[in-house]
Amino acid sequence: MGHFTTLDYVWAGAFLLLMVGGAFFFYRLARRSESDFFLAGRGLPWWLPAASVFSTHTATDTPMWITGVIYANGLRGLWYTFFSAWTAVGAFVSARIFRRSLAYTQAEWQTQRFGGLGAEMLRGWMAGWQVFMNMFILGWVGIAMGKVGALAFGWPVWVGLVVPTCITAVYTLAAGYWGVVMGDFLQGIVAVFAIVLVSLVGVAAAGGPAEVTGRIMELGEGWRLSAFAFTGLFDGDFPVVWWLTMLVIAVLGGFGMGTSLDWYVEAQRIQSAKSVRDAAYGLWAGGAVTLIRNGFWAAGILAFFSMLPNIADQADYELGWFRLGFELLPAGLVGVFFGAILAIHLSTISSHLNLGALYFTRDLYQRYIKPEAGERELVKVGRWTTLVLLIGSFFYGLMMQEITKWLIFALWLMMAGIWLPNILQVLWWRFNAWGYLAGWMANLGVSWLVVWVLPAFGVYEPLPDHLNFWLLMALGAAVFLPVTLLTKPEKMDRLVRYYAMTRPLGWWGPVHAEAVRRGLIEDHARTADAGPRPLIRRAWTPEQAEAWTREDWIAIVLSPVIFALLMIGVTKLLLLQAGGVLMVIAAVVLSGVVYWVIDPKLRAVSAEYEAQQEAYVKQLEERLRWQDDGEAAHG
Amino acid sequence: MDKGLVTLIGMSISYVASFVGLGLAWWSWKKRR
Repeated sequence: MGHFTTLDYVWAGAFLLLMVGGAFFFYRLARRSESDFFLAGRGLPWWLPAASVFSTHTATDTPMWITGVIYANGLRGLWYTFFSAWTAVGAFVSARIFRRSLAYTQAEWQTQRFGGLGAEMLRGWMAGWQVFMNMFILGWVGIAMGKVGALAFGWPVWVGLVVPTCITAVYTLAAGYWGVVMGDFLQGIVAVFAIVLVSLVGVAAAGGPAEVTGRIMELGEGWRLSAFAFTGLFDGDFPVVWWLTMLVIAVLGGFGMGTSLDWYVEAQRIQSAKSVRDAAYGLWAGGAVTLIRNGFWAAGILAFFSMLPNIADQADYELGWFRLGFELLPAGLVGVFFGAILAIHLSTISSHLNLGALYFTRDLYQRYIKPEAGERELVKVGRWTTLVLLIGSFFYGLMMQEITKWLIFALWLMMAGIWLPNILQVLWWRFNAWGYLAGWMANLGVSWLVVWVLPAFGVYEPLPDHLNFWLLMALGAAVFLPVTLLTKPEKMDRLVRYYAMTRPLGWWGPVHAEAVRRGLIEDHARTADAGPRPLIRRAWTPEQAEAWTREDWIAIVLSPVIFALLMIGVTKLLLLQAGGVLMVIAAVVLSGVVYWVIDPKLRAVSAEYEAQQEAYVKQLEERLRWQDDGEAAHG
Repeated sequence: MDKGLVTLIGMSISYVASFVGLGLAWWSWKKRR
């Protein structure tokens, strides 16, 4: 597939040199402290986490997967990729709450939200799982690169698995998260350039937009040009209920933490932002660019389909985007395209190397093994863990290369049982650590039984995906709800302290009342205006901004709509289909409305919170070293 | 290899990792109480 000229080698080489060389600029910053090595010192403006969210969401296997769903499903296949839209709501709900907690990891957050032995066991449980998951993802993404190298250049699979990953490890080890996020920014630019270019070249090669849509119509496959080509309410490959299920998972998931596997990666980006406002915009913009990317990809893949509509083997048509790039781009640009593939790969690898090391260092080593460890020691542990994860991922990648795709699906499906607990722990004060832990543990057996064992023994036919999801959710609830209600609520000291710090959305009435009674926060009623409230408030006192108001709900409701309009509108625009321009214009206008409505409030929240952040960081570090159990509420 | 068996192995490894973390947390909690 590859036809490299000298110029192509120069481009690819220069790109690699830039990536690895650039990291050494940040070596000194990374070694200063644990906060620098894993969170870039919590000082990043929103566009850096945004670039990192986008880059990390784009892995080597992503173009294959998205090509597969678009080639098989047409434009409606874009909805499979809409799970990223959890960031639309998450930016204004979970990102805001999580950033205020200052937790390095989701596991650490569990011990702020919950208390006692249950919370600690939950933290250990989640940290162990995340160390494994990151090694697993590294292996999976690495083997995808191995396959691309084999297809493009005839390399043995292990070369693509080992060599680019080792190059990534050099700058991740040296510069920690500083290297990751700066690399992600550069890699994101290269990746966006290549994705846009290849889609445009693909559409042009197929004869232009009119020719692409005309050929698809001639083939009698016009339904492929509609994003709403349902096969029925409950029946067929793409029923309405499946579409609705995907929407619910994505959009409501934004109210929780951990409802998507991507949350764990993005949580680190949220925490590295310099303010609550930067965290919100970083997640929002990263998610938006990810869905725009999908729109570009879809146009290119529909062009590919119009040229080669009869590829039956999934393994063949999944390579459609790579074929467009390697076969259609002129000499010189092929090197840039390969550089973009490396960029996509490097950004994902570096993020998961650093994240796996973070969970081990912060949540297992520092919390449970050696709480008194100094900053230099923690950075050293972070580097050694990065190395161990790197080597482990090679073994995992080679061992699992034939079935990782299936296993990824299985892991996603098994997240179904903890989707609701992940939301409830954020929104409902009464939910507790024992309920969460019981729900997660039960999920292993339940999902195994429902998805594989019972169908295998002929108890019932294998269920469609949407039924699997709802059934697993209901069975999970049958475990975690009784456990929650039969065990004691978290101690009020703990809850009040967490509430005053993060000001969560949802059902927190008794905790709010107690926090007011203790003088930790002011009552909303007393801080309200004397006169009538403006329809959209644009001047906020700090205490007014802390409350969840209609301005938040406008942002929460409009954001997923904007994301959907962008995703579908971009494809339609590129194929010059009716409505494409209007959809994109509507998305831009609505984005402006959301910014106008929410920005003054986010500024007020950020300013108020940052004034208290230093004291909160001190509390966090004391708690980590077991010097403060978090049960006593301080003002 | 059978997909179901491989899934069981893969999931088991992830749960072993989780149980190791959980055990470590429990041990550390007991030590400090």
